[in-house]
Amino acid sequence: MKKILIVVFLWMLVIYSGPFDGTQGISSKFLYMHVPSVWIAYLAYSITFTYSIRYLFSNSPKFDSIAVSNAKSGLIFTAITLISGSIWGKLTWGSWWVWGDARLNLTAILFLVYLGYIASRKFNSDLNTIAKNSSYIGIFGIVQIPIIHFSVIWWRSIHQQASILSQETIASGNAPISSDILIYLLIGVIFTTLLHFLLVSKFSKLLDIQWENYLNPSSRAKI
Amino acid sequence: MKKNLIFIILGLVLVTFASLRLANNNTVYYFTTTEALENIDLLDERVKLGGFVMQDSISKNATNTLFNITDGNTVISINFDGYVPELFQENMGVILDGVFVNDTFLADNMLVKHDNEYISEDGEVYDAKNYSK
Repeated sequence: MKKILIVVFLWMLVIYSGPFDGTQGISSKFLYMHVPSVWIAYLAYSITFTYSIRYLFSNSPKFDSIAVSNAKSGLIFTAITLISGSIWGKLTWGSWWVWGDARLNLTAILFLVYLGYIASRKFNSDLNTIAKNSSYIGIFGIVQIPIIHFSVIWWRSIHQQASILSQETIASGNAPISSDILIYLLIGVIFTTLLHFLLVSKFSKLLDIQWENYLNPSSRAKI
Repeated sequence: MKKNLIFIILGLVLVTFASLRLANNNTVYYFTTTEALENIDLLDERVKLGGFVMQDSISKNATNTLFNITDGNTVISINFDGYVPELFQENMGVILDGVFVNDTFLADNMLVKHDNEYISEDGEVYDAKNYSK
């Protein structure tokens, strides 16, 4: 818990000290919150996807723990993405939420899908059945990520296109971002990645205990 | 195992299809100024119009803000009656919601569209060549 708080503090420090965009002013600091969060959400759900498949084909409890703990952390980062994006939207676009934008709506759906994933863990009392059912959600949910990523290209709307993970930037090596902003952004990504794996290890410990109790009910009785 | 695999593939296809349909049907497009002028006779309902605010075109009367927007080729005059977002300024991308009356676009809702550039005060743009060493 201490480590988590330290990393959160360091991330806040990046946001506090990061330079801001000349036109947007102070509101552009949400960049250091919004962009790393959504990348971590992509990463988390990709790991959930991989380990959901592995669980389904091997039935190893370890894989289920990894899948679930990544989904939990991913859900937290998706919530941060939505909240920071919404505040930034109010300050920049002039609206908290634009209902006609594909990326916004799909990200909200992404949040609901993994909320459903977590909720589905409570739908049954048999952990094997639970793990099997939620694996399917973990697998089907991944579809959203490429669609969200390319939504700004496929559907013309309010959300700006990608600055870093875009074809132009990857082809030319030049991002349309000032180097100082980019450096702070990448430091932010490092801290959020660290935070993610700290959260995952915390959550997976809880899951491991749950599995332990399920597989060896006798050890539970002693407590 | 084989049953699992078939179920997964079917599910993935279905979810992809549903997501694409959903996004396609619910995404509100905006017209560029050129597209709007080409179809101006057809646009008798409320539409969304996007473009960049032209330099030296902003003026205000008692209630409305008047300005021109462009996509680089064609220009449309805007008569805007609504809340002006803080970032509204020259050369900024805007998306307006309203109706065409003759050649003027009467708008009552505005969103400021920010592009994907982030330039700090020192204005230095990231360039891979400077960092290749």
